[in-house]
Formats: sequence, structure tokens, C-alpha cells
Amino acid sequence: MIEFKNVNKWFGKLHVLNNIDLKISKGEVLVICGPSGSGKSTLIRCINRLEKIQKGEIIVNNTPVHDKHTNLTKLRAQIGFVFQQFHLYPHMTVLQNVMLAPVNVKKLAKSEAEKIALEKLEQVGLTEKSSAYPAQLSGGQQQRVAIARGLTMSPEIMLFDEPTSALDPEMIGEVLDVMVNLVSEGMTMCVVTHEMGFAKKVAHRVLFMDEGKIVETGTPDDFFDNPKTDRAAEFISKILTH
Amino acid sequence: MLVDFNFRIIFEYLPLFLTGLRSTCFIAVVSIALALATGIIACACRISGVKAIKYPAIAYIEIIRSTPLLVQIYFLYFGLPTLGLRVPELQTGILALMLNSGAYIAEIIRAGITSVDDGQLEAGTASGLNYFQRMRFIILPQALGVTIPPLLGQNIVLVKDSALLSLISVMELTRCGQTMTSERFMPAEAFFTVAFFYMCIYFCLKALADWSQRKLIFREAY
Repeated sequence: MIEFKNVNKWFGKLHVLNNIDLKISKGEVLVICGPSGSGKSTLIRCINRLEKIQKGEIIVNNTPVHDKHTNLTKLRAQIGFVFQQFHLYPHMTVLQNVMLAPVNVKKLAKSEAEKIALEKLEQVGLTEKSSAYPAQLSGGQQQRVAIARGLTMSPEIMLFDEPTSALDPEMIGEVLDVMVNLVSEGMTMCVVTHEMGFAKKVAHRVLFMDEGKIVETGTPDDFFDNPKTDRAAEFISKILTH
Repeated sequence: MLVDFNFRIIFEYLPLFLTGLRSTCFIAVVSIALALATGIIACACRISGVKAIKYPAIAYIEIIRSTPLLVQIYFLYFGLPTLGLRVPELQTGILALMLNSGAYIAEIIRAGITSVDDGQLEAGTASGLNYFQRMRFIILPQALGVTIPPLLGQNIVLVKDSALLSLISVMELTRCGQTMTSERFMPAEAFFTVAFFYMCIYFCLKALADWSQRKLIFREAY
């Protein structure tokens, strides 16, 4: 479903993605972890071309993402993206936030878009907040709205860029619950996160990155309990000790 | 002192002042409209990634902002004819106000646009909105709210700056005061009246800005 072929990217002199080869199949849940600056966010941001790559190829559903003839609107409609800092539109209500893309990108009738939007809000448990503004919600609620916003386009793939890193510890659970639910529906997901509990519970594969390279991949149990490389072992011991 | 203040002469000259007021209002409305258009275009060029239009826009904005308006007016009024372009005073004046205010308005709008968080734009991009949709639904509704107060300020400055056009003999409000002063030598009465009319324009503009801010800020997305 998603395929990276020898992908390379530089920020100036920094080689942020170094010969990435990766295949993600339909329905797979991939967790990506690694120290900050290792290129994990950049990796998933390349999948919907929020970032450009300089070498190699990324193919999503048989579409070459970085080809200049690719219809980006169509591509991005298949991919939901959830940001660390939520990035809701503060001047719109929750419902308007969720409806904006279906009405303007998919050109759905308002009534139809509203129906879908309310369905997705129900899925994240926030139907009663549909007329609130983002500033009136807690961080966890805002992130759940952001997930609903990603879901209204009925994507086949959901990308999560550290979805719980900006949240109070108390609110992490409610966001992870929504994500676990998505997994049970068979959504293809790439999640950049250090939430080990989430990874062990639902991930099919864990990918460990350092300095722009994929250092190690494995099942969550293998990776966290018996890391093959010293770098991964060191990383895991660090996230475990606090 | 107040006993010496001659109200009768003000009423005698009222028709002249009303002509001046009309002229100033006309100059203001036309210049503000043209300056807004100039500002929007200059700003669009300024934030564009295309160097061929970005750098001319920067040059325009910096040249205008680094030189006095009076110098710009004199340059157009005395300079253009020597370059072979003969433009009447009124048009020269409006052109000067338009170019001057346009540069400031471009920067005000740019500040409003850059005040909107980049992350929201990325969120819009990620959900498939194109450039114009991101402008229309995400940036402008938020940018307009923060730009209206400084835009109002700039337009008030423009109205008051139009007094400088009296120096190139455009018959507007200030010029009327000068005329009355030179005919009857009553500068206190003349410029008191002139000031009063400028205040009237100021309060009208302020009311308009308050109204538009209520209408435009956080406008619904669709």
C-alpha cells in the first residue's frame, strides 16, 4: 500500500533520510520510534508530500507521490494526518473544522458532509462538543477532533505524528483509545510515538530510526524485549528509566 | 478671546468649505480604494516565492517607506512633467496617496497573514485544500480580524495626509482654509473649521471600521 524505494532527503547538509526502503501493507499498524532528529516525522510527512524528497520514490496505492503529474488533492484525500500540536482552525467550531475538507475538497453537499462529520465525532466521543470552539476544549479533546477531521475524508491511511506528545499524562489515554479503535477497524496506520503500551498492544511492526536510517525493525515484543542492535537497546533503556 | 471668534464668517464661507469637504472625501475614497488594491497586490507579490515579482515589490515598499510623502508628492508633481508626463494636480495627488498608502497597507496585510500559525496551513494542505482555499477559509478570516485596526489607522493617516495636496494647489479642505485666511485674514476661524471637518471624517471612518470588524472577524467558514 505504501512503498519507499531508496528514499533520500537532505535539509541543507543534514542527511535526514538515508536510503529508506520500506513496505507497509494494507491494514498494517506501524509504529516508528527513535531519538529526536532521527527523521521519523520527516519520514511520514513525505508520504503525503508535506515534505519533498530529493532521491528515490514513494508509491502510495500505485501512485508515485513525488511525481510532478500526481494529483495531490486526490492523493491527500486518501491520507489522514494528525499533528503533534493538533492545528485545529481556531475561528471555526468543531463541526466546521471537521466539515471543511469534505465540503471543499470532496464537494459534498453540506447536509451530507454534516452527517459524516457527526458520525466521526461520535466515533471519537465528542458529539456534544460539535458547536464548541477549539479553545474551549482540553488538549485531549482537541486531538480527538483532529483525528475526526482526518477521518471525515474516509482515508485509507492514517498518519500520526507524535499525537500524544503535547498532552497532559491524564489525556493520553483517551486519544490512544480512539486510535486503538481505529486499529480494530482495520485502518492502515503509521504512528510516530514513544507510547510503548500502545505499540505492544496494537502495532504489527516497530521501526527504529537513528540519524536518518532505519536501524531495526521487528515485532513490538521482539523489539522492546530483545533489541538486536546496541543503539536500540540504549534507546529503550532510556525511555524505560523514567 | 472667545468673544473675538467670528462664527458669522464661518457661515459665510460654508459653501466653500463644503466644496472642500466634498473634494477631500472624494480624494479619500478614491485613494483608499486604490491604495487597498495596490496594497493587496504588492503584498501578494511580496510573499510570493517568484523572485521576479518579489524583489520589485520589496523595492517599491522600501522606497516609499523610507522617503517623506511630501517629497513623493513633489517628485510626481514637479518631476513627472520634466520627464514628459503631464498629469493634472488632482490625479497627481491621488496617485501619490495611493502609492504611499499602498506600501504601508501591503506590510499591514503581510503582518496579518504571517500571524496565522503555519501548522494550520499544513493541516489544510494535508486535508487536500488548495492554495486559494487555504487563503479563503483559514488565513483570511483570521488575518482580517487582526488587520482591521491597523488598516483603519492607515486610512486615517491617508485622509490627514491629503492635506499636503494643498501644497500642489489641489482645492481640498486645507486649501479652502488657506483661501479664506488669505482673503479675510481669519486663520483661527478658518483652520478651526477645517479641523472640525477632518474630525467628522475620522469618526465616520471609525464607525465603518467597527462595523466591518464585527462583520468580518471570525466569519464562518462557508
